Amino acid sequence: MIEILQWSTLAVCCAAAVARIPSAVRGENRSLFYIFLLATLAILLSIDGPYVAIDGLLGGINVANLILRFVLFTVIFFIGLRCVNAFGADKQRRWLVGRPGLLVFGLISAVMVVFFAMMDSFSSSAGLSAVYERSTRNAHLVEYYGAAGRAYPAYVSLVLLPAMVKAVGSRLPGLVRAGALLLAIGGVCLTVSLLFPFFPAQLTPLKFVINYGAALCFVVGLAAFWIARVRATQSAPQKSSTAK
Amino acid sequence: MPLPAKAFQRWLHGIAPQASTADICRISGVKRTTLAQQLVRGKVAESTVVSISRAFNINPVAALATFASYSELAGSPVLPTAAELVSQIATMDLLSAVIARSAGAAGGGDADRPPPAPPLTPAPHATSVKNWVDAIDDGELRHRVSAATGIAPQNYSAQLTANRLTPELAIATSRAAGVGLTGGLVATGMITESEAGWPPGARQAALDALSDGELAALAGERLQALGKTLRRQEQDHQQTKTIWENLG
Repeated sequence: MIEILQWSTLAVCCAAAVARIPSAVRGENRSLFYIFLLATLAILLSIDGPYVAIDGLLGGINVANLILRFVLFTVIFFIGLRCVNAFGADKQRRWLVGRPGLLVFGLISAVMVVFFAMMDSFSSSAGLSAVYERSTRNAHLVEYYGAAGRAYPAYVSLVLLPAMVKAVGSRLPGLVRAGALLLAIGGVCLTVSLLFPFFPAQLTPLKFVINYGAALCFVVGLAAFWIARVRATQSAPQKSSTAK
Repeated sequence: MPLPAKAFQRWLHGIAPQASTADICRISGVKRTTLAQQLVRGKVAESTVVSISRAFNINPVAALATFASYSELAGSPVLPTAAELVSQIATMDLLSAVIARSAGAAGGGDADRPPPAPPLTPAPHATSVKNWVDAIDDGELRHRVSAATGIAPQNYSAQLTANRLTPELAIATSRAAGVGLTGGLVATGMITESEAGWPPGARQAALDALSDGELAALAGERLQALGKTLRRQEQDHQQTKTIWENLG
């Protein structure tokens, strides 16, 4: 069940990236193509099989996991930046690219790298489960490392949340509001994921649903904006032709 | 409040005992799937009754009055007030009237009478619902309507802004304002002026009865409201464009 969710999320992301190639070639909003591409890479790295294969190439000490975290940070940062620009959320811009935003980014990254360096990180396994089981000290370190890794995406989505909620309630086109709603739901999922350490063990499947659900919400939400524009630009020439 | 399907069937049988549903739809222009869906749900829209009664040369108001929930529409129609009549004149027609009158005044002694203004476009117009409610509002009307019908004030305002009003609310509004019950149905475009029993030329007569000052002030108000709406649309459009540029 979880595997289906993982691979279908990967497929959706990959499809979005591929579909974005023509507009990237034309030079329209290239960064969206990179967002989809990096998101695909991040999801690929979060699935067991590909993760072990890629990490093996990198020396088998779970560096791939660290890379995954920074790829996620990059993706979420650029999604945040695009949304702040798109929705004219000037008050929130400071908390993303201003000094406070960069401070949060630097702090969380530093903490994450330190925790990673402190654990015995050899023997590749997705989600660091093998490292987790090796000793109590490692288990704690993996827990903190994971929390730091989830903190930045949660932070960015909290920064975006007010602008998204405002857009959902606005008079903008339906698909745009649907996209904003999906981004808001994705953001809430990421924020809930901060509470994972307090989840009882039997709720582990729910963690996967929340993680991949958030990824799906973000990708489908971004695609919704894009589809809305394609529709708007397609219907415009039709309208003028019927007017004649 | 849509009409119960049973009462509708009875009414339909009364006016066209032999006609099949397909015939009815063909004559009245109501989509067959629409009617079938309304019958299945047990709720027939008022507009369906209006379309069918027009097709059979029955006055739609009289047809609606045969249903229990609209029985108060029966009886001789109350004539609309001057304010109601003027509210159903489109903003552009008001502005043409301003121009026509000032042209007549500028002509001075040469022209004894102003050049005839173009005939008024038929009601309803783009803001007819809101203008109608404003015309009959004594300041407490919205309050009374929401108390009488239970609709939340913000939902009522939203309908007015969207230039919509359900027939039920339109009649409730007329009743709360103490004016003829069909005025709101004209403003929403459900029925025409003549179907509501408004005398022909009544709007033109009401317009002619306005003094220059009244007309100028009214046209100014309408123009200001139009400007606000257009500016808001432009802002929305600009915002959408920014979103496309960044996320499209």
